Amino acid sequence: MHPSESIDAPEHRAAVDSDAARSRDATRPGRLHGSLFQSIGDAGRAELVERRLAGAITGGHLRAGERLPSENDLARTFGVAPTTVRESLLALRSQGLVVTKRGRNGGSFVADSADPVAHARTALAETSRLALRDLGAHYSAITAACVRLAARRAAPSEVQQIRSRLVRLDDADLAQWRSTLDDVQVELVSLSQSARLTREQMRLQAEFSPLLRLLDAESGSRVTQHQLLVTVVDAVEAGDDQAAVDATERMVDSVINALIELQSKNR
Amino acid sequence: MVTVTSAQASGIAAQTTAERAAEIVSEYLRGPIEALDATAAQLGIELASSPHVGALSSQRLDALVEPHAHRILGLPDAQIYGAGFIAAIGLLTDERNHLSWWQGDDPRKLLLAAQSVNKALIDYSELEWFRVPMETGRGHVAGPYVDYLCSDEYTITVAAPVHIDGRFVGVAGLDLLIDSVERQLLPLLSELGDNVTVINSVGRVVVSTNPRHATGDAVRGGPLADLSRTPCNGLALEIIVE
Repeated sequence: MHPSESIDAPEHRAAVDSDAARSRDATRPGRLHGSLFQSIGDAGRAELVERRLAGAITGGHLRAGERLPSENDLARTFGVAPTTVRESLLALRSQGLVVTKRGRNGGSFVADSADPVAHARTALAETSRLALRDLGAHYSAITAACVRLAARRAAPSEVQQIRSRLVRLDDADLAQWRSTLDDVQVELVSLSQSARLTREQMRLQAEFSPLLRLLDAESGSRVTQHQLLVTVVDAVEAGDDQAAVDATERMVDSVINALIELQSKNR
Repeated sequence: MVTVTSAQASGIAAQTTAERAAEIVSEYLRGPIEALDATAAQLGIELASSPHVGALSSQRLDALVEPHAHRILGLPDAQIYGAGFIAAIGLLTDERNHLSWWQGDDPRKLLLAAQSVNKALIDYSELEWFRVPMETGRGHVAGPYVDYLCSDEYTITVAAPVHIDGRFVGVAGLDLLIDSVERQLLPLLSELGDNVTVINSVGRVVVSTNPRHATGDAVRGGPLADLSRTPCNGLALEIIVE
């Protein structure tokens, strides 16, 4: 695109002759065109598969020692050729995230050395405060919208199912504790009955959860997170949408503040 | 001679509409439910006679379930999005929990590990479509609910328990997307003339010919709350006619 046709032209140029501005407006592409014609990226398919799997491993969604599905299964699920999967596994091996064992019970496994907490610590150190707050704003907006709908739409019996899982929550195993909290959070937002919002929330949860693990080591943080989640569940059960939204926003605020504190302590 | 007032007449008509709507809905679900019940029984027999019954791996289970899943996905009439078998926790030798599940227009095996959130760790034994058949020993129509484990869509799951010699080993299931249910059921229900709303056992709107009633909404506190409900031939669904 020629520079003079840039759709990101500064707004203050509009302060010119109004006729000329009008005729230009008629031919100028609308705002949405900006996102429509953005580069879709030239990353190869192998790189996309590699990034997806690397994200799952560093995020702790695939655990150390866990067996990956077979190359053919992965190829079918991702909708790519088996050679593409092989190429991405090769790259993951060279990064030390995956090991391959030969023999009858062979296959690709998540490397024992892949430690999601170490990855999360690096990620936190490399993330700006701005990006952390923005992640919080996004997470808060989606989750609040979900619990508002859930408070209006959920049946009390459904909320009680969720509560019973929170009651049984045990922090003896921190990885299990986090995975149960993630689980409860997703189940709670699914009571919004919105598939689109739930999918969006799950994507955010996957991004957020590794960072939350860094806070889980501290018992005070666990207590706060647990209590605020119980408050959200109570509000949804009572059909009090505003209280559910408020408690959700408080919960996100408190963990983002704790993450920023942790970040500055480690610097 | 009995004089029928117009109010009574419309009452009688509404009753008939509700019964006809109940028939349409149960007829729509009959094929999938019967096919699934037969599959659950057949799976129990095949699992019991498998030489690997004592030490079943996920791979062997998948091989056994796959032809059944494809047959269910190919059923005529109601459009089925996903089908398969979900193993009871701890049944298999190599994985704690496992879904032998195929879904999509061009059905693919569902791989939890390949997805974004830690779905492989989700404890499905708490979820309605697994819990109810496990606890009651009977088939169940669960939902509508956002199925964040399999379809990622707003879904109804028809589920039936599978037993080996009386021991519960898992659940056979199939998914209907509400999107398809709406497309297939609404034209039939609209022909009845009156506004017809199908609700589930917790009072949630499944589909409604009245454009003002949104799928997923709770009936409580709304204009439908006090209207009479007609059961749907043994299904956990009810009909409300306005």
